[in-house]
Amino acid sequence: MLEIKNLTKVYADGTVALRDVSFKVEDGEFLIIIGLSGSGKSTLLRCINRLVEPTTGQILWDGQDITAADQTELRHIRRKIGMIFQQFNLVNRSNVLTNVLTGRLGYVKQRQSLLHRFPQADRELAFKALDRLGIRDQAYKRADELSGGQQQRVGIARALMQEPHIILADEPVASLDPVLAHSILEHLEVLNQEEEITVLCSLHYIDLVQRYASRVIGLRDGEIVYHGSREDIRRMTDAEFKNIYGQEAVRVGGGLEGSVGGSDDKTI
Amino acid sequence: MTKLYKPEQPRSSLVTGPVAAFASCIIPGLGQLLALQIWRGLLVLGSMASILGLLAWRAVALAPRETGLLAIFSKALARRPFFIGGVLLGALILWLWNVWDAYQQAEPQRRGGVAIFALILFLFFTLGWQISEINLYKAVTELPDVWPLLSKVLWPWEAAVTRDTETVIATAPIQIPCEGSAPESPAPIAGQPYIIAAPTCGELSYMDENNDLVMGTPLHLEGEGFAPNMKTQIYWKDSVGQEFHVRYQGEYVDVQTDSVGEFEVDLVMPYRLQPPSAKGVQLHEVQARQVSEVGGLKPSEPLLLSVERMIETIFLGMMATVFGIVFAIPVSFLAAKNLMSGSKLTLSVYYLTRTILNIIRSIEPLIWVIIAAQWVGLGPFAGIIALTVHSIAALSKLYSEAIEGINTGPIEAIEATGATRLQMIMYAVIPQMIPPFVSFSIYRWDINVRMSTIIGLVGGGGIGFLLI
Ligand SMILES: Nc1ncnc2c1ncn2[C@@H]1O[C@H](COP(=O)(O)OP(=O)(O)O)[C@@H](O)[C@H]1O
Ligand SMILES: [Mg+2]
Repeated sequence: MLEIKNLTKVYADGTVALRDVSFKVEDGEFLIIIGLSGSGKSTLLRCINRLVEPTTGQILWDGQDITAADQTELRHIRRKIGMIFQQFNLVNRSNVLTNVLTGRLGYVKQRQSLLHRFPQADRELAFKALDRLGIRDQAYKRADELSGGQQQRVGIARALMQEPHIILADEPVASLDPVLAHSILEHLEVLNQEEEITVLCSLHYIDLVQRYASRVIGLRDGEIVYHGSREDIRRMTDAEFKNIYGQEAVRVGGGLEGSVGGSDDKTI
Repeated sequence: MTKLYKPEQPRSSLVTGPVAAFASCIIPGLGQLLALQIWRGLLVLGSMASILGLLAWRAVALAPRETGLLAIFSKALARRPFFIGGVLLGALILWLWNVWDAYQQAEPQRRGGVAIFALILFLFFTLGWQISEINLYKAVTELPDVWPLLSKVLWPWEAAVTRDTETVIATAPIQIPCEGSAPESPAPIAGQPYIIAAPTCGELSYMDENNDLVMGTPLHLEGEGFAPNMKTQIYWKDSVGQEFHVRYQGEYVDVQTDSVGEFEVDLVMPYRLQPPSAKGVQLHEVQARQVSEVGGLKPSEPLLLSVERMIETIFLGMMATVFGIVFAIPVSFLAAKNLMSGSKLTLSVYYLTRTILNIIRSIEPLIWVIIAAQWVGLGPFAGIIALTVHSIAALSKLYSEAIEGINTGPIEAIEATGATRLQMIMYAVIPQMIPPFVSFSIYRWDINVRMSTIIGLVGGGGIGFLLI
């Protein structure tokens, strides 16, 4: 169980990105974080693996305080938390296999890895991950030769290599078109259901939210302003919607009930 | 809300328009200064003073023998009417404009033109043209003079090859002066070249009190047994063993042998500075030489030397580049802000490194050679040290800026996997660094090879060494 307690982040320039945020995530949940851009979604996700140092507050994972971990402990925590990014963040000039293998860096011996040597078992694991995401035949291509959807699958494969208990996904589909968005989120859903990996994902498309989320948190100006289940999302009132997205925001496509197959461009 | 600053008020002038104009009439720019247009005034004053100063300097250079301002200027004007007249006219226009401008600047509705600054620039350009002695007419008319030099640069190979030579020498002794029994020319040996001198003793040419040359004893030489139809050079070997090609009336004494290998030639005994010890009877020698080329073409000494030095230069540049790269890579990581902004300590290392690099880079490689030559002596090694030091500083800066410009996304992603800092650098930073590193390094090699020719001039080895 992941427990966020009174988390506050103030950046060096004085921007308050998170304000006293508290919530719990049970193992196996698919938690989606929504909110306008600038509301603090990325900051929240990055605080969990401390790519961003929290200013105050605690993050407890199965009782261990991540915010108090020293460098070695932090690395051990990080390798159990996979992360995927909006911009994929692959090393463009390296090939797909190498990119995927970097997911093992937290486990392998440093000296070996500096020589680009990985144990055979890890290489097999990498091919299995690529297989699972349907891009095995791309293994020896340079990462930047792949399409956006393929690159994000490499990103997932890299996270998978960590054998993670949690995956943090920061707007994983915002750079992809809607059809690809579904295929990426379906991969995450499968991992969530079959491997019982907890997923924390920030999203922009609201109908993707109701399709995949088991629970939803709404952020505005660094504060939690909405908290609901998948059913709650379907029943979200205009008032709740405006509370998250502001008074000027308009819900496109007339309500959120109904299929996801329709217009995917109900972006906020 | 209160305003923190007022919108800019037009600054008031200390004086009225006519006063300012009068002030500028006496001292250009003064009126503008009084109108509190400080920069404008200083600019006008400065350019007026320097234009007149430079003009006076050129005028004196054109009329060095004249005294008095008027005489100098009229002489200079006569020699270069367009230049002197043009600049004087320009200065006059500038002065008139300055008076008008001072008036304008002191009035409340100030208007100021900038076109006049084009005139100032033009005047400086005209002066610059004269000062740097640009002479288009000469450049065009004397263009043919360039050709011999240029052709040597473009086609240097004539001097690049030589043949081995073989010299045939026959000698006859000459005694200076005639005293006692004169030596005899050696008896001819069949099949060998020989010369017979007549007489075999006499006086050398010498300089009298008025530094006029007084001719020595005439000498008749007959040679036989030489190669036919070939140039034969007459040499003289004096009593201390110095050999030189004899001149007679300014020309080298050379004769052509006839079809049976014989020649006859008349000359006088040459002028020779006698060493103080050379008293009394001395024995000199007259020689006839035939130089023939044997064997095939072979590279000449200068060519071999140049090639050797060129190779030295290229390697000098290469070694300096390699050493530069080896040291610059680790240093560049210390000089990259994005990698070093982690803590106060690393940040201060960053600032220290940057400062040192800036200092090293601002010192010319030429100075480094001099320092290095003091240390390890003249030669290629000193050159390598100088270029290496400079390369480290230059490459570190370029590399570190490339590091600062890399995409931070992959760094974040690798850090998120639980990788160590070293692993992160290896997998996220270095792959992104390779293309800029390679191109900067090749560029540096190019610079180093070019620079090592110059470095040679001050003793750093390489091809430049030959130019000293
Ligand atoms: N490195 C940073 N330094 C200063 N302010 C930042 C930094 N990163 C984000 N912010 C600010 O923090 C707030 C939250 O940003 P972010 O977490 O990126 O929001 P989101 O991901 O929801 O768009 C924004 O106001 C943003 O400008
Ligand atoms: Mg974001």
